[in-house]
Order: sequence, then C-alpha cells, then structure tokens
Amino acid sequence: MRPRWRKVLSDLVDNIARTILVVSSIAVGVLAVGVIAGAYVIISNDMSAGYAASHPANIEIRMDDFDDDFLNAIQNFEGIANAEGRRVFGMRVRSVGGTQWTMLNIVAVQDFEEIEINQLTAIGETGALGKNEVIVDRDVLDKVDAQVGDVLEFQLSDGTIKRLQLVGTVRDPATNMDDFLAPPAAYITMSTLPALHQPENYNRVYAIVDSGQDDDTHIRAVATALKDKIEKSGHAVHSTWRSKTHEHPLAATVNAILGILMALGVLIVFLSSSLIANTLSALLNQHLRHIGVMKLVGARDRQIFGMYLALILSFSALALLIAVPLGGQGAYALARYTADEMSFSLQGYRIVPIALVIQIAIGLLVPLVAGFVPIINGSRVTVLKAISGNLVQGTGDQAEGGAKRESRLERLQLRFTQMLNRRGIQIPRPLLISLRNTFRRRGRLALTLFTLTMGGAIFISVFNVRVTLHDYINAIGNYFLADVTLDFDRPYRLNEVKQYAAQVPGVVTVEGWAFANAEILYPDGSTADNMSILAPPAESELVSPILVAGRWLHPDDKKKLAVSDAILDLFPDLRVGDNLTLRINRQDEAWQVVGIFKFVGSQRLLAYAPYEYISLDQNLANRAYSYYIVTERHDRPYQEMMAEKVDAFFRDNGFHLREAKPGLSTLDAAVESLDILVAFLLIMALLTATVGSMGLAGTMSMNVLERTREIGIMRAIGAVDREVMRMVIAEGMLIGLISWVLGALLSIPFTYLLATIVSLAVFSTPIEVIFTPTGFIIWMVLVVILSVLASALPARNAARLTIREVLAYE
Amino acid sequence: MTSQTPPVLPAVEQADAIIQMRGIVKTFKNAAGEFTVLKGIDLTLQRGEFVSIVGKSGSGKSTLLNMLTGIDHPTSGQVVVDNVDIYAMTESERSLWRGRNLGIVFQFFQLLPMLSLLENVMLPMDYVNMYAFDERPQRAMELLELVGLEKQAHKLPLAVSTGQQQSAAIARALSTNAPILVADEPTGNLDSRAAGHIIDLFDELAQRGKTIVMVTHDPSMTRRTSRTIIISDGELVDETIAKALPLLSHRLMRELSRKVEHRTVPPNQTIIQRKQPVDKFFMIASGQVEVVLEGRKADDTIIARLGPGEFFGEIELTRGGKSIASVRVTPEGPVELLALSRDDFNWLMNVSPLTSEAMTRIIQSRLEENRTSDRRKRRRWFR
Repeated sequence: MRPRWRKVLSDLVDNIARTILVVSSIAVGVLAVGVIAGAYVIISNDMSAGYAASHPANIEIRMDDFDDDFLNAIQNFEGIANAEGRRVFGMRVRSVGGTQWTMLNIVAVQDFEEIEINQLTAIGETGALGKNEVIVDRDVLDKVDAQVGDVLEFQLSDGTIKRLQLVGTVRDPATNMDDFLAPPAAYITMSTLPALHQPENYNRVYAIVDSGQDDDTHIRAVATALKDKIEKSGHAVHSTWRSKTHEHPLAATVNAILGILMALGVLIVFLSSSLIANTLSALLNQHLRHIGVMKLVGARDRQIFGMYLALILSFSALALLIAVPLGGQGAYALARYTADEMSFSLQGYRIVPIALVIQIAIGLLVPLVAGFVPIINGSRVTVLKAISGNLVQGTGDQAEGGAKRESRLERLQLRFTQMLNRRGIQIPRPLLISLRNTFRRRGRLALTLFTLTMGGAIFISVFNVRVTLHDYINAIGNYFLADVTLDFDRPYRLNEVKQYAAQVPGVVTVEGWAFANAEILYPDGSTADNMSILAPPAESELVSPILVAGRWLHPDDKKKLAVSDAILDLFPDLRVGDNLTLRINRQDEAWQVVGIFKFVGSQRLLAYAPYEYISLDQNLANRAYSYYIVTERHDRPYQEMMAEKVDAFFRDNGFHLREAKPGLSTLDAAVESLDILVAFLLIMALLTATVGSMGLAGTMSMNVLERTREIGIMRAIGAVDREVMRMVIAEGMLIGLISWVLGALLSIPFTYLLATIVSLAVFSTPIEVIFTPTGFIIWMVLVVILSVLASALPARNAARLTIREVLAYE
Repeated sequence: MTSQTPPVLPAVEQADAIIQMRGIVKTFKNAAGEFTVLKGIDLTLQRGEFVSIVGKSGSGKSTLLNMLTGIDHPTSGQVVVDNVDIYAMTESERSLWRGRNLGIVFQFFQLLPMLSLLENVMLPMDYVNMYAFDERPQRAMELLELVGLEKQAHKLPLAVSTGQQQSAAIARALSTNAPILVADEPTGNLDSRAAGHIIDLFDELAQRGKTIVMVTHDPSMTRRTSRTIIISDGELVDETIAKALPLLSHRLMRELSRKVEHRTVPPNQTIIQRKQPVDKFFMIASGQVEVVLEGRKADDTIIARLGPGEFFGEIELTRGGKSIASVRVTPEGPVELLALSRDDFNWLMNVSPLTSEAMTRIIQSRLEENRTSDRRKRRRWFR
C-alpha cells in the first residue's frame, strides 16, 4: 500500500471516537431515509396488493332483510361478477365472568370456508366455524379479555345471555377500512342466528363488478342501477359504499403520513450533514500539520484533496455498511407494524431497490457535500500556515509583534461584563470562561445550534400537534355530548323513557333523537353519496356544532338541514340557502342547507335536521329508537358506571334495549389511531433530537480537544477536576438552553405547518392549532439532560488531562 | 486540602528549607526504550532565595521544574514543599495545592484568551476560593498596578503586547499570594527591554520574601539571581565548581564533580604552609580562608581573604615549586573545601583551554599582588 493510503487508513483508526461520531452521523441520516423510503414502498405496494388479495367488495349495500333467492338475483344482475350476502348487527359481548360489555358487530356468513368477497385472514389455528361457535377480530381478544377456546357471552335484546364458543381469530383487511368509528367484528354462521334471536336473513350485500374494478364511475353506475333494482323489488336500501379493488381506502392518508415522515427523514439527513461538516472541519484542523509536512515533501493540493476524499468515502462506506442492512430491517419492521395496525398482509421481507439507491446516494453525497469546503480549505492551506500552527484563532499565543484588536463580539462581551460589575454583579470567572467559550467557534456553534434547534422545534411541535389533534377530536366530541347513549330495538315514547330514566340516580336530562339515511343526488339524478341525518331536538344542548357558515337548527325548520363541510368536496360551490336533492325513503326531495359545520374527515357525510320534523316524516312522532342522556358528571368512569346502571335498569323494566354506551367511548377508536400517528412523529422527533445531541457531543469533544492547553493552564493555576468538568458541562448546557429558546420560537411555525399537513392528510380539513406547554417543558428538561450527557464524556476527558500532556515546555 | 497531606519531613531538619527534592529520578519510556532524564537529584531551596536553574536544551531543567511544581510524577524520589509531600496527593488535590502554594509563570504566558487581564488574574482566586468574592477585583487590580498594567486591565490578552502579557501572567501568579513563584523561561519570548522589566519585578518580589525559582538559559538573568543551579544531563553540577570555574562546560563541571574530594577544615587551621610543596587545588564551598605571609614574630600579613566560589593552590600546581604563602582557615568558623588532585587539575587545564587561560590570568594577578605585599612587608622589616 502506498504511504498516503496508509495514512488514510491510520486516520480512520487512530481516533476511534471521532470515526464513530462521523460514521454514526452519516448512518443516522441514511438509516432514517432508508427506513422511511423502504416502508413507503413496501406499504404502498402491499397495502393495495393485500387489499386486492382479499377480494374487496366494490359495492356494499346496507338494506333490509333478504334471502338467498334475492341474493341469486343480485348475483345475476348485469355488471355484477359475484355477490355475497351477510347479516350484520350490533350486540354486546363479554367473556364468562367478565363485567365489562363490549359492543361488537356480529357478522353472519353462510359458509365461513367459502367466503369469496372481503376474505378474512385467519390468525393462528383457526378451524372451521360451526354452529354456536364464533370467530372474532383479533382486536376483540384484548377488549373482552378472552383466549381462543374460551366461551363468550352475548347479550340478547331481551336481556338474556347466549354463550358461544370462541374458536379462532381473524383479521379483516377489507371491511370498514375507512370507518374510524366502526366497532370490531365477530363472525358466526347463519345457522347460529336463531340462537341469537335473529332471523336467518341477510341485510348486507357485498358485490364485485365484472369489469372496471378500479373505475369509480363504472362502479357507481353499477351500484346505482343495482340499488334501483333492489328498491324497485320492494326492499329499502339504507346506504351504499363503493371501493376500488386495487386501492386501499386509506392509501391516500397513509401515503400522506409517510410523506410527512419522509420530509422529517430528509431533515435528519440535512441535520446530520451539518454534524459531518463540523467534525470534518475539526479533523482537517487537527491535520493541518500533517498537511503541511506532506506539502513540504512535495504533495500537491490535488493529492491532499484526494486523500481526504478517500477518507470521507471510507467514512461513507462504513456508515452504509451499518445503515443499509439496518435500514432494510427497520423499513420492514415499520411496514409490518403498519400492516398489523391496518389489517393488511405484507408480501414478505425484501430489499427495496429504490430505497437502497437513495441510501447509497445519500450516504455518499451528503458527506461529500458537507466535507467539500473543509477539504478544499485544508488542501489549499500554505505550508507556512500549516507548519506554524493551526487556523484556530485565540489560542492565547501571541504572534510576534504584539497587539491585535479584539473582535466586536469580544468587546461587547467585555463591556457587558464591566457593566454588570459596575452594578455590583460579578460573574465568577470559571462561569465566565464557559460563557465566552460558547461563542468562540461561531461557525461550529451555529451548526450545532442548528441541529439542536431543529430537533427541539420538531419535538415541541409534535406535542403541540398531538394536543391540536386531540382538541379537534374533542371538538368532534361536541357532536356527541351525551354521557350515555341508549339504543333500543324498537321505538319507545319520549315521555315513557324520560320518566323511567329520571328514576335512575345521576340522570339529569334525556333527549330522544331520530335518524334518517339519505342519498345526495347530482342534478342528473345519479347518486353522489350517502348521508346520515341526525335529528336531535332543535333546542338540544347535546350538540355544540362548530359552524363554518349559516345557522343551527330551528324547531320549525322543514326540509332544512345543517350539513358537514365534507359536502363541499361533492359540491364545491354550495352556499347556505342553496338546495340539495336528497333521496329519503325512495322519495326525491329538495332540502335547503341552512348551515355548514366542521366535522371529521370527508369519509362520513353528516347532516343535522330537527327531530320535530324528521320524527313526523318517519311517522315516529314523540317516539324514538335512540336516547341521549346527560348525567351529573361527565368523566369517563362515571359515564361507564352510569351506562351499566341505565342498561340494567331499562332491561329490568322490560325495555328491548340494544345497547347503553358511555358517551366518550365513541371517540376511542379515533384517539387510538391518532396516537399511533403521534407516536410515529415522536419517534422522528426523538431521532432528530438524537442527531442534535450527537452534534453537541461532537462539538464539545472538539472544543475540549482544541482547548487542552487552556485546560492545562487552568489545572496549573488551581482548577480541580470538578471545576474543569463543570466548565465543559456549563458550556454544553448553555448551548442546549440557547437551542431551547430558538427551538421554542421555531416550533411555532413548525406546529402550524405540521398540524396543517397532518390534519389535511387525516381529516381532509385544516384545523385550529393549539399550543401546550408540555412539549416546551419536556424539551427543556430533555435538552438539559442531553446537554449534560453530551458534554459529560468530553468533560471527563478534559478533567483527566494531566498538565504535562498539555503544557509542553521543550 | 494541605492539612490532609501529612508533613513528611521533621521541621527541625532544615528550618528554612522551603523546597526539598530527594533522590528524584525520572525515566521516560518510549518505543526506543527507556531514557532517564533526571538521575537522582537532591536539591534544597531556602525560603526567600531567588534561584536560577540553567542547563542546555535537553538537560532536564524543565523536567526538574515539572517535578517541583507537581506537574509530572517522578519515577522515584520525593518532593517536599513546605513540609508537604506533593506526590502523596491526587492530581486534582495537587491542582488546588498548586493554586494556593505556587505561582507559575510560563514561557508563552498562557493567559486564557477569552478572559480580560483582570479576569485572568482573578481566576486563581476563584479556583482556590481565596479572599472574599467581592474583594477579588480590587486585589487583582492592585496586582496589575504592581506590574504596571492597570490601564490594560479590561483588555483581552491578544490586545496587549507580549511583555504586557508576561507581566499579567506574573500578576496572575501572585494572585493567591503563594510563597513560591516558579517561572519557566519567563523572558524567553520577550525583547531585552521587556525582559529587563520582568527581572526587575522578580528582584523586587524576592526582596519582599518570595522564593523564586526561574529556569533560564540567559546568563544575564542568572547574574541577577542569588543562586544558580546548573543541571547537565540529568544531574546537578556542584555549585562550588560552577561558581569557581564558570568557564567550564557543563559536562566538564559534572565530570569534575565526581573527581573532587570534600573536606571540612576547622577554624585557624593552616591548609597550605608557606615554602612547603602543594599537591592539591582547593575550591571553597563555604566559610573563608586567609592567604597569609607569615612574619618572624607574630606579625603575619594577610594578603587576601577568599570566600565561597573562590579557589587556591593553582599557582603552585601550575608553576611547580613550593608554596609562596600560607592559607589558613579564618577564626570565624570552619571551611568546606573541594579538593582536586594535581593530576586531575592538569587534566582539567588540558581539556578546558578557556579555563586554563583564565587561570593563567588569575595566577599572574595573584603573583603580582603577592609580590607587592612581600615588598611592603620587607620594607617594614627593614624600617
């Protein structure tokens, strides 16, 4: 090996700590991008592929009961390739001996083995499903605290309990994918239905079209025609849903979130590049003498440049060696986690070529770009300059000839200290050293502050975004203000329910609500979408809408409604006062929009109309299926307790109660899925914070290394170990605190940006940003701890220096 | 801190000794093998002395200084400063001890670049927690006034001249009122005017009772000190030889140290008898001798008194023949002598022409003086 390449090799190994720092700086960025790019590709491929593999229904129709003959007719309908019928209804379930009821969607299928549409994926040993047996979604196991082989109790509408054997668990990759609020499912055969007091009929159609499975227009045309046929045959259709075969309903949302993570990954690369630049310029500085000697014996700029280029490429190669395999594993782990949460299957571990290419490109290019300026400067340095000392200013040596002028910052610092002194405030000199040392290498400080500040800003923003999202969900809770919701199997009179409810201690008020399902029609008569109309009493206090335009309901409103802002996706020009054509109970009517309110997402179109009108329209005057109860207290445990009490009371009094559920439980699923998102963001924030503290650790090590002589002097004039350590740690903490202030300021625009991107991705609407002190406080504590940790090792090294090492006399 | 470290030497042994080094050996190890820089140094410095340590580059003088300041560990031996064995402490304890007991002045000043001169001077007080916090600025300012830097007090080191930086470094070394000031080539980087100013300052401090130990290679500096210690190849040169024969190379001085014989002679005893053969060359380490032309009765003429660093016996060894005058110990006390045999003296004159020439000049002047005295004495006899 040529001597110069041997030098490159020895530069790699002679300072292991520095090599580790540079390599891990590169590796962190490469890893972050590798994980996210890999996961992005795997998830977007497999999510849709997994979805398609389950043969998802293109059309789902919720309607009243029908039998096999009717199903045959649907199967033979033009444009339908295949159709299956199922019966879906809600029921409360618990494990034997359990006290907590869980609401499940019970799905009855003809033959569990023969499901061809919305196919389920069995988990573990799931055998054939027989009579009086049940298979559940795997989420159910945790909720009801049961194992396969246990017996589950199902509460019938008359209050009696039926026991079914739990024989397996499945995952449903297709059904209700886009419904945040859907309860998990349990599967039985049609033959089990009588045991649960249910007719052996279907109430849902799942159909696959015979062509154009990814053409929404075609699917809609078939769906409209099919619905017409069903209605003409005398059946009522409650709602229809459509889906493309090869596009997961949440693909857009997931991709948007992965996009955010990708942006953060790129930011990490950016941050780590400043870390690399810092370390490399320190390395070059330490090598000035070597460079001088090499030039003295004939090396040219180009050769020096080549040597350090080779050094950087070696760092890159080492980083890639670590980060690429880890990135591949990480990408798959992230994809698997997402797949698990979203119930789709992955196609197995694989290397994603594009992620690999991106990783290698970043691993090679970023260090080159970051190191370019230091290398160019280093290789161009003159022999005289290189031999006579380093480029660091202010080492205490005085050049021959005498005094220079202090810099502006130095004069400012001196004047400030003098001003304090005149006011009787003295800063102890050891602290003064830490304070002034902080600002000595301003370029390095700027880069360190940049990484730490960005890390901090993202960290704080994530907390703000979390609170913002939760606040929004809570705001959505304004539409579900009841403490206990009662659903009956048949309508009961308002007065009767109110009188009974009043007998339950803790109940304050009761409202009866009506419901209607409507189809929104385009002017040409085709169906634009389905819409649920909720009908609370117009004066209800249980809805506290966030109105975007118009007004709320009046008791005397007829064919007037307030509609959620998602309507604007369908009718962008809709204004308050305009009419919508709705098809309710097979009748097309013009309804006037009196108000537009904000609601979660575009997936669910929701409208409110006064109970006073809807109940009349449905021939349910003064009666209702659903009742909303306000209790004395509104916390979750109290609501749960009251739900149990009210449930027992009404059942005991012979009411056919389907379910009494605590009010806040509605939001559980939504909160859960948001928390997953926040967890992802937090991981990225922690990663940026890690890069930031690595940067700080590197900076502090470099500072200590460059100031060994000064530390020797301090020891020579009386500084004990503790003083030396304190000096280094104080400087680290000061940098940490400055970055905290900057990060706190920067977190404000970051919060707006992140909240807007996330809310657009998840809720399809920008939401109002909320700030919380939590993130600011946690980051302050964290940045102090990180700064102390980052400077502790350099500080210990500094304290260990013996004076002889640093003060060479001869 | 100092109270934790036991006094290892009984105070009675050397009442006024402030620094005692005993059998200091320092061996460095490197790839080429072991290299002994200090070969068993024994040295005692008295309180209030202004001592210069001189030696060639690589002689071990800075290593010696490092041993004395506790900056480096001896391989064996003991350094006791003010009754404290400084190597019984940890490095950190030693830092604190050093801050309180030693002021160090470096060749390159080593002021901390981020602190003003005033702050640099206050720093040791902060480190060793001496003087009330509010008193420190005033005291530091007084020290800067002492070195003439009061107007530069609020400037950073880089904004003042090198001489001023060294003055500030001295002020810093004085800030904890340490009894000992150690300076390593304090004038090595200064022009002669600035160097003169620094030595004046040391002089003044020595007069105020500070013990000053200064490493230097500048003979003009050593002349200003009260004592010069020469180190050569890791060994101390006998100070008597260095004083008596300053023109010898350090190597020869060291060799000579091994050849001389130490003798103590009681008061009034005659060392050389007139008209008797002389076979030794004597150098006086301490005490005094009289050179006497003896009369017939008791009216001896004392033609010279010789003290430490002076020598006698060279005339007879050089010219041959018998002694021209008697040399006897003064009645005040005994004398310590270093005696060199005739053969060794001749060897010395051969190997050091400079010394030989100087010796010839001294012999001529002494003979001249002797003749004058002899004539005067005879005139008196014949009167």
